[in-house]
Amino acid sequence: MTPKAAFNLIPLAAKQLLRHRVRTLLTVLGIAAGMFLYALVESMQTAVSRTTAVQASDVTLVVYRENRYCPSTSRLPLYYEDEIRRIPGVREVIPIQITVNNCGASLDIVTFRGVPPRQLARFAPEIQVTEGSREDWERTDDGALIGENFAARRGLKPGDAFEAAGVRVTISGILTSPNLQDNDVAYVHLPFLQQASRRGLGEVTQFNVRVEDPAHLEEVAAAIDATFKTAEEPTHTQPEKAFFAQAARELIELTGFTRWIGLGAVIAVLGLVANAVLLVVRTRIRENAVLQTLGYPDSAIAWLVLLEGLLLGLAGGLIGAGSAMGFLAISRITFGNEGQVMSITPDPGLFLSGLLLALVLGGLASTYPAWMAVRRPIVESLRT
Amino acid sequence: MENDQDILIRCLSVTKQYKKGENLVTPLDTLDLDIPRGDFLAMMGPSGSGKTTLLNLLSGIDQPTSGSIEVDGVAIHALSRRALAAWRARQVGYIFQLYHLVPVLTAFENVELPLLLDDLKRRERREKVEAALSLVGLSDRMHHFPRELSGGQEQRVAIARALVADPPLLVADEPTGDLDRESADAILGLLQTLSREQGKTIVMVTHDPKAAGAASRTLHLEKGQLLEAVS
Repeated sequence: MTPKAAFNLIPLAAKQLLRHRVRTLLTVLGIAAGMFLYALVESMQTAVSRTTAVQASDVTLVVYRENRYCPSTSRLPLYYEDEIRRIPGVREVIPIQITVNNCGASLDIVTFRGVPPRQLARFAPEIQVTEGSREDWERTDDGALIGENFAARRGLKPGDAFEAAGVRVTISGILTSPNLQDNDVAYVHLPFLQQASRRGLGEVTQFNVRVEDPAHLEEVAAAIDATFKTAEEPTHTQPEKAFFAQAARELIELTGFTRWIGLGAVIAVLGLVANAVLLVVRTRIRENAVLQTLGYPDSAIAWLVLLEGLLLGLAGGLIGAGSAMGFLAISRITFGNEGQVMSITPDPGLFLSGLLLALVLGGLASTYPAWMAVRRPIVESLRT
Repeated sequence: MENDQDILIRCLSVTKQYKKGENLVTPLDTLDLDIPRGDFLAMMGPSGSGKTTLLNLLSGIDQPTSGSIEVDGVAIHALSRRALAAWRARQVGYIFQLYHLVPVLTAFENVELPLLLDDLKRRERREKVEAALSLVGLSDRMHHFPRELSGGQEQRVAIARALVADPPLLVADEPTGDLDRESADAILGLLQTLSREQGKTIVMVTHDPKAAGAASRTLHLEKGQLLEAVS
């Protein structure tokens, strides 16, 4: 069979599928449900991986109180900032007070990061204010610069006020940042948050440190911890992503478990397509024999059966993976633990891989039915 | 005695056997048969006499247990499954008693089916399909679905499908068996025209003496043996 002949048979396979509209619709919906689940689980896994996988180019360290994992229990003296700044290899440091509305696992975490307003631009020049004004935020004591995901999730815009964790702020601007966590938090003035959350003015939750050379990340972390080893509040310093992985390890374990759900969805899709195509082959034994009588070789008959599986997979994949991406785009789900947040965002790459997987599953599930379709003698099939 | 060049089909000692449960069935037993080019041959005989088996062997959808079958010089009994499919696509058109049209395809699309495997342009396919449908008198029904056609019209679509690749041989298994008399006469007239004007060699199995009367020659089979030939 030539490629042109293979192409010519696509409309025939599509029309054959439309012959049993209800069965085809139910199969496609089943595949779509499976691929929806798969795409959601994979999106969650991708979010975890993006947030926790330490890369060679990472330059940010988090200095936390040793043996503490929650923002409410990590308390470090503000004066550590100057000492950290003096350690060789440190490029920039910023003290951060963190207040969250929920310290446990949650799907809607509001995280306030209190920082010295004029230091933020120096520490994180990659943060861009897309709406409102950074200057306005620097001038306004109760102003907040909020991440774009957070703004979209809550429907907030500059000038709006909102309250969470007992802290009421007015939005001065919306920010976007390549550092994904920034897009889900609200930056406020450090003194304002320390007072509003009833924490002492001289105390912060953590220090974020940027190093000169990513190759010396571990070395600088060790130097920081060594500096405060005998201090009243010893520190534990690690790369930002490793810190997240440790702080939210239970959540990550839970997310890892969802892989089984994804695998279950994939197996369900495989079974569903195989069942549907097997039914098709069984009800069309004579019709396939007629095509063989007309001169269709075994490869063409098998291709027609495979095509039906592929088209079912394609339709189910488009609907399932597409609606998962749509759902994520609309719902802007953020989940997190201990004040660390992860956004589950729609990803075109995941959509394409979901679509490809659905196609592969469709083809795979049709292989046995395709073999069934060509193995019977024509004369025997014509008699059925 | 026919000149060898005038013979389209030559069967020599063709035997077909298969197992049915514990029994060995022999629907055709050492059959010899020559069918000249352009012949319109009817095959009659009681049920189980082997006429449909012979038709299946001549059309290349079944293989003999022993003996040889040559069609236009090609020993089809020795062809591989794949080569036989390619041979069928070029050399033979099969007309079924129950038409066997694909219900979700229009008359045009059903006739187009054998051409989908060829590397023809869409325009070339359209011209061939329109010509075949015109030949069977269904140019005005080409976009109708089988459910919108009468039995006679459906059989004419099936004949157009058998003709569209322009094979020299047409085989028909009870082509009028499911039709009323008037429609049956129209189909037989069409087959006669195809034999006479298009030079097609037609082998038709029938139980109907009137249908056999439309052929130029009738063979009688019984218990897998050729009994007599009536011109």
